[in-house]
Amino acid sequence: MRPAALLRLALAGTRTDGARVALTALSATLATLSGLAALTVLAVVKPPGDARAESVQYTNALLREPGLRPGVAFALLMLMVPVLGLAGQCARLGAPARDRRLAALRLAGATPGEVTRIAALETGLASLLGTLAGLAVHLIGRRLLHRPGPDGRLALPTDVQPAPAAVAAVVIGLPLAAALVSALLLRRVTTTPFGVVRRARARAPWPWPGLLILVGLAMFAAFRPVGLWYERRHAEPPLWLLPALLIVGSLAAMVGVVAGTGWISHTTGRLLHRYARRPAALLAARRLTADPWAGSRTFAALLAALIFGAGAAGIRADFLATIELHRRIGGGMGASDAFYLRAMDLVDLTVAVAMAIAAGGLLVAVVEGITARRRAYAALVATGVPRATIGRSLLWQSLAPAVPAIGLALAVGYLLVRGVYPAPSGGGYPEEICDAGRQLCGDPLTRAQHTRTEWVPKVTVPPDVPWEHLAWFAAGGLAAVLLTVGVGLLFLRAGATVEELRTT
Amino acid sequence: MTYLQARGVVRAYGRTPALRGVTLDVAEGEIVAVTGPSGCGRSTLLHCLAGILRPDAGQVTWRGERIDGWSEAARSRLRRTEFGVLFQFGQLVAELTAAENVALPLLLAGTGRREARTAALTWLERLGVAEVADVRPGEMSGGQQQRCATARALVTEPRVLFADEPTGALDTLAGEQVLTHLVRLARDQHTTVVLVTHEPRVAGYADREVMLRDGVVDHSGLGLDASLPGGHR
Repeated sequence: MRPAALLRLALAGTRTDGARVALTALSATLATLSGLAALTVLAVVKPPGDARAESVQYTNALLREPGLRPGVAFALLMLMVPVLGLAGQCARLGAPARDRRLAALRLAGATPGEVTRIAALETGLASLLGTLAGLAVHLIGRRLLHRPGPDGRLALPTDVQPAPAAVAAVVIGLPLAAALVSALLLRRVTTTPFGVVRRARARAPWPWPGLLILVGLAMFAAFRPVGLWYERRHAEPPLWLLPALLIVGSLAAMVGVVAGTGWISHTTGRLLHRYARRPAALLAARRLTADPWAGSRTFAALLAALIFGAGAAGIRADFLATIELHRRIGGGMGASDAFYLRAMDLVDLTVAVAMAIAAGGLLVAVVEGITARRRAYAALVATGVPRATIGRSLLWQSLAPAVPAIGLALAVGYLLVRGVYPAPSGGGYPEEICDAGRQLCGDPLTRAQHTRTEWVPKVTVPPDVPWEHLAWFAAGGLAAVLLTVGVGLLFLRAGATVEELRTT
Repeated sequence: MTYLQARGVVRAYGRTPALRGVTLDVAEGEIVAVTGPSGCGRSTLLHCLAGILRPDAGQVTWRGERIDGWSEAARSRLRRTEFGVLFQFGQLVAELTAAENVALPLLLAGTGRREARTAALTWLERLGVAEVADVRPGEMSGGQQQRCATARALVTEPRVLFADEPTGALDTLAGEQVLTHLVRLARDQHTTVVLVTHEPRVAGYADREVMLRDGVVDHSGLGLDASLPGGHR
């Protein structure tokens, strides 16, 4: 098939296909913006001098301090996770209509490979459109936001630009990755001239993701012992080792939680089926066991955001414990206490934004599920099944796996951080105290007469479990699920109409 | 008293008229086949009689009571308790087993799960598909699925069964098996049946045939001739 024909067929389709392309492009735009923002932060040039030399041209300490910039970049990159999750959900939008279109292409003589290329090209082109739009918004935004203050300092790093190779990697790499993932996902799909056959995984999910979670926790817990091991030997660990422990550990834990949601869905489905007495719960139970991976796909971005949020809550708890420790034994971080806590507020805001984006993906998934089953729902309604029963079944189907999965994500996120940060402790050393005033204490001749030595007891302040913060995140996650199911039910009313029964 | 009645029923989809004043009486225990060429309004009439659709004009009465003005909830309740509905396809819940599908209307009516399953198994046995009780629709043949759907439509022992092209998606043999079971069980239970079909062979199972043409009842009495394309006379 000629490239022009391939392109024409990739962009053909109905309004739903148009909506899918638009949403995929929008997701790619958001992902590009967060990726370029992270790269811009990393592009800030470290001034000459010692490692702690600040980039004084910025008003915000998050950008000024070299030690904080990687964290800011990491937080911005984390925003890409729910955005990519949203893109994944958007790719499933209007899947039945696309399946019919692809089947029609096969009927017209297209080979299975050509059909896969058409589907992958559609995703790739939509993503490319989005990344180019993202690049344009980034460049325009940079110019508009470049407003030095009266002292010449900047609020944002609008004076630096990421390396062109890094920008190209984002703008071209994202669409390529999207097309590749699309082609990979179609591996389980066989498009025949008579329709699309999806090879469903027949066996129930195994609890192996639990092992991944344990590996992730173990890698975080190993962070300090590994560092101390090298310290005791007066050696430096390899540069890659400690970051690798954190990155691989967090990825393992995240994949474990997301994949574990499949097992959770299956198990809650089985339990619900055993104890269900009402049709709504029975319907939900059977759907959960029939496609347990739907939960993983649907909640992936939300769970990733919650792991990050719970980790941030753990770090905040550690800051608070450190402040309390300094209060007890004297000394302290002073003004920086408030700064660190303000920085954590920003992290919480990032998590909230990530959860909102994830909720968008959740909504797309719920609406898509309803649209795909609208005929079956219409038949149920026609036979007298109240729409409320179907609505309750959707609620059960979403909440039954969501509640334990959210709990697991929060627990894992918090435990990861606890593994790295030990309980802050101090004291356990003698301290000389001179309380005779500045003049006498300042004079070496008289200082000794007025100085006494006191033992500062060793104090350990275990950080409190940030129940309140974790509860807020759990409530936010559940609210996102409830809200999206609620909005989805509006589509159920519109979708489950008798007209659906007339469509052949 | 007429059991089920339509009086001057009019219904349109946008600007396209489907029914243009249909009047029809169905007696208790009667099996009526509504036939006619494609697009004549057969399914729309069945949906209006079953309370799935509200007519734009005219009346639908059930045992002397007008049901066309009832709320959607009340009509849903009627379909759940007094009526059974059978479609050509798409009526079984893909994730539920055959027994669970058949038990669903009973569960909705508040029957306990164990009793509902027992009743479902009895009906599956009556329809000759007991062996697929714990099988999901995707693993059944079209004929087995339709017999399960028939069992589901009859499990509440409805007074009226509405069947919209019940054999439309089946081969001749499977279609005849479904119809034989359906008609036998309906007569045993004294269930009234309104059957929509475009096939004269299927209409042959009914006590009476009502033919629609262009949204009105055709009283010419000539019926369908399957030998002509589209069933036209």
